[in-house]
Amino acid sequence: MNAKANKNHVTSIEPAYYEAITEAIRKEAVKILKNETVVGVVGYLPGRRKGTASPALVTTVEEAEKLIFSPACVNNLSVYLTKAKKGVLKQGKVGIVAKGCDMRALAGLMTESQLQREDLFIIGVVCPGVYGFGVQRTGTLTEENIARKCRECTVHMPEGADVAAGTHAELADLTPEEAEEMARIEAMPQTERWAFWKEHFSRCIRCMACRQVCPFCYCEQCLCDKNRPQAVESSPRPAGNMAWHLVRAMHLAGRCGGCAECERVCPMDIPLNLLNRRMAQELKELYDFEAGLTPVEKGPLNEYKENDDQSFIK
Amino acid sequence: MPQIITEQNLRNLIDLLVKEAKLVVGPKLSGSVVLYEPLTAGSDLTLDALPRRSSKELFFPICEDILSYKRENGAMKVSDMDRSKFPEAVLIGAPPCDAGSPAILDAVMSWDYKDEFYLERRRKSTIVGIACTKGDDACFCRAVGLAPDAEAGSDLFLTPLKDGSYACKAVTEKGQALVAAHQNLFAEGAGAEPKPFVDQAVEKLDLVKIKKWLEEHFEDPLWEKIADICVGCGACAFICPACHCFDINDEGSTDDGVRRKHWDACGFAKFTNHASGHNPRDVQNKRYRNRIMHKFKYYDDKFGKTLCTGCGRCIRACPVGIDIAEILEQINSK
Repeated sequence: MNAKANKNHVTSIEPAYYEAITEAIRKEAVKILKNETVVGVVGYLPGRRKGTASPALVTTVEEAEKLIFSPACVNNLSVYLTKAKKGVLKQGKVGIVAKGCDMRALAGLMTESQLQREDLFIIGVVCPGVYGFGVQRTGTLTEENIARKCRECTVHMPEGADVAAGTHAELADLTPEEAEEMARIEAMPQTERWAFWKEHFSRCIRCMACRQVCPFCYCEQCLCDKNRPQAVESSPRPAGNMAWHLVRAMHLAGRCGGCAECERVCPMDIPLNLLNRRMAQELKELYDFEAGLTPVEKGPLNEYKENDDQSFIK
Repeated sequence: MPQIITEQNLRNLIDLLVKEAKLVVGPKLSGSVVLYEPLTAGSDLTLDALPRRSSKELFFPICEDILSYKRENGAMKVSDMDRSKFPEAVLIGAPPCDAGSPAILDAVMSWDYKDEFYLERRRKSTIVGIACTKGDDACFCRAVGLAPDAEAGSDLFLTPLKDGSYACKAVTEKGQALVAAHQNLFAEGAGAEPKPFVDQAVEKLDLVKIKKWLEEHFEDPLWEKIADICVGCGACAFICPACHCFDINDEGSTDDGVRRKHWDACGFAKFTNHASGHNPRDVQNKRYRNRIMHKFKYYDDKFGKTLCTGCGRCIRACPVGIDIAEILEQINSK
């Protein structure tokens, strides 16, 4: 990774850092709207409640001057670019504010021919992290309120953006909670691990928020919506819930960019990103592949190589 | 003289009700979230936390079997569920934004079609509501005509007092009966002062004015602005105390299976998809508009009630920060 030498390790990220990013985003968004590089910019606007923000598609200079970046800017905005979800691209070239983790989704979507680089103007954000769910939203980001995924972030510096907003800062010595939880689950006997997931999935209400915020859930016909014949039980019961989450984990293997949006939006606190990470780990071990760092022609599960590991064929 | 119950006696009441083989449902810690779940003992009750899902599921479960079918000797045998087996239930510890919802839903559930699954559970239930002393900036019950101390929907209403006990008010005969059957747990007394109720960030809304605006703005750029960011999930509807749409699916094989009724949401793209392939609400702005219209216009037109209790769950849970209170404030100020 670049800029390692310039790392500025601190114990808290003060509001001023985010304000500087906000200024840079506004300046850039106003410029590209004014010179008609883009028809709109997908970014964040402040919410009514203290310390909240919402995604927004801004199309005028006045609106662009209200864009913000703060630890409340949790969303992965690339979901708004996929045809199946929003398809704002059909209006013309668009600008998008993207944190490092969101850039991975953009790269993945380019890999899968869902986006063309030339249709995008990417305002990358050098992001020190965002809030976790249900934390104190004080404006200052600390070890206490940072999101779980940000504790192990490897993409603070977005690569491949048109411009980058912010300098490099990150919190020092964060506990890698997700990795620890992964290790704890891995160490469980299989029956216990099964019980762990069964318990979590039993709470699932099938609101499909996980699917709807996922940039890679862009299938126009989701297997789980099929009812003639029904492929996966659509009623929120343990068997169907289990099937849905396992189908989704498998479908995202080698594709998921790790933005953890599915986990963030789950109203029932199901730790879905652990499944994604587990799949990513398999891909890393088997194919030395990490999804979405840069656009590639084909992911490892979409192509055959003679030297692929074939030991699973018995 | 008002009646008083101590926290310990409230928990003892739960123990007794469980012994009486009643289904007792209340806020309970389940993993990392608090949900309304069957309580096995008084110590299970979690006070002072708004459960992640509303209490509507006691009457309108997330998923229930409505009949089963089985092919036997070439003939299909269909069996109805035996509703007489639904247990007598007591819902304990629901704040006004939850306790108030069944009273609103009764209207639609006993309208052109009587939903016997819902109504039978309602007949067999008693609701012990509790005044709310905790909240956050997503709460807006006052704005929609309720209040942290609103008794609407409760059979017995508890108000937390500063000394840790609760003032009890029997609002209905069911509430009186519950107190009468366990009189030794309740004491006479003027009691201490109530604990302070929650302050709310949203001013009281003019629901008549909002309804009028909705009547005149079926087409409005507002709907598109919201739909720009709405991702079309069902989180807002599923955790709402008042949303009550459901779907029915036959699940199983052609020889053996179950017909199930389960939650559905107007945010889903296929919610109104017709068998013909035509979808009258084909884009998200029409779907979100329906959500607001249903809550603040259609339901009022039909039943004279607002289909929202201001619990704020949809605001807290929306993946993209859509804030219904902010939208209502916007309409209110037009």
